[in-house]
Amino acid sequence: MSEEVKIIEKKEIPLGATMLYGFPDVGLVGVIAASHMISELSLTEVAYLDSKLLPPLIVLHEGLPHSPIRIFGDHDVLLAVSETAVPADAIQPIMRTLVDWGRSKNAKMMISMSGIPVENRQDIDELKVFGAASNPDVLKMIQDKGIEILKEGYMVGPQAIIMHYCAKMGVPAITLLAQCFYNYPDPEAAAAMLKELAGITGIKVDVSTLLEKGEEIRLRARDVMKRTQQELTKMKKTQEYDIPLYVS
Amino acid sequence: MSTRKRRSIFDIIDEYFESLDEWTERFRGATIEKPSWNQKTCTIEPLRDILVTPEEVIVTADLPYAEESTVKVRPLGEETLEITAKMRRKVRFADFGITHQKGEFQKLHCQTRIPVLVDMERMELRLKRGILEIHLPRKHGYRIPVE
Repeated sequence: MSEEVKIIEKKEIPLGATMLYGFPDVGLVGVIAASHMISELSLTEVAYLDSKLLPPLIVLHEGLPHSPIRIFGDHDVLLAVSETAVPADAIQPIMRTLVDWGRSKNAKMMISMSGIPVENRQDIDELKVFGAASNPDVLKMIQDKGIEILKEGYMVGPQAIIMHYCAKMGVPAITLLAQCFYNYPDPEAAAAMLKELAGITGIKVDVSTLLEKGEEIRLRARDVMKRTQQELTKMKKTQEYDIPLYVS
Repeated sequence: MSTRKRRSIFDIIDEYFESLDEWTERFRGATIEKPSWNQKTCTIEPLRDILVTPEEVIVTADLPYAEESTVKVRPLGEETLEITAKMRRKVRFADFGITHQKGEFQKLHCQTRIPVLVDMERMELRLKRGILEIHLPRKHGYRIPVE
């Protein structure tokens, strides 16, 4: 575990679970999906992250302090989620520490939940979910489950670090990216992603309340979205629009 | 033959500082953080974005709970747009679990500066999925101040 980033366990951590990640990114897809999962599956906080790399902030719930980055879970799932925009400079060490911690708990799969922005989002009724994987076997598995593969391009943000580090360490990992708005919270995209996640992992989450509460979530998520936009600019997120130079 | 009034060096320095003040104000408005709500006016500031293409400027704003018939876009001069909309329901701090602040909001309101010259009179609006889209055809040319 990195000296700069520590994970403090509050409960006994199940071994062999699927580890999910929901971090602030375009459309806040991962965070909205994670927050909905926590409430629908009644996941409880099992660990939290402590780091001097994070801004000097805590999140108060019922008057008590909490780390902005926490891990929730039950017997089958571990879910790392951040309630605040993660500074661009801190993403590398934080994601690596989370992956190392997941490995120490024998996590069978790491799955990042996020979004991929589309310009004409307002006009799309059926949102596609794209995927990428850390090795050819996992890639084939998600393809067989009907996920369209993100074949070429750049990936920027927490999911990029998780994917690269997992590939390096030989950990099976998937990134799921739902079509979404770039700058606006997108609960519909989060719902689309959770549907595909169920097909891959068997973790079923009812998304009807997520869709019903869409407007409330968009209103509530404005401030986190605004701060996330600032970090996305710093990490040059728009590189995802770039056409890659082909190097074989 | 027209005669040009010669400006003194003091006029030029005054003008320079005036324009510097104006830029400082603009910069301050863009960078100093303030809450995204206003208790006095009972308004919430929506998220918004601007895209400048060679032909038009597209301003979008996320307007959750906006009552479609109340959405208004008003030009404030040549460079600024004001967006307002009534919300279908009142939102209170308590709805978000916040009890140390009091206040309720019923309106979305923001002002956005347009970075290039546009034809405000040919503005077109569209509201879909709660996202307001404002299309403003660009005017090509330069703004030359006349003394």
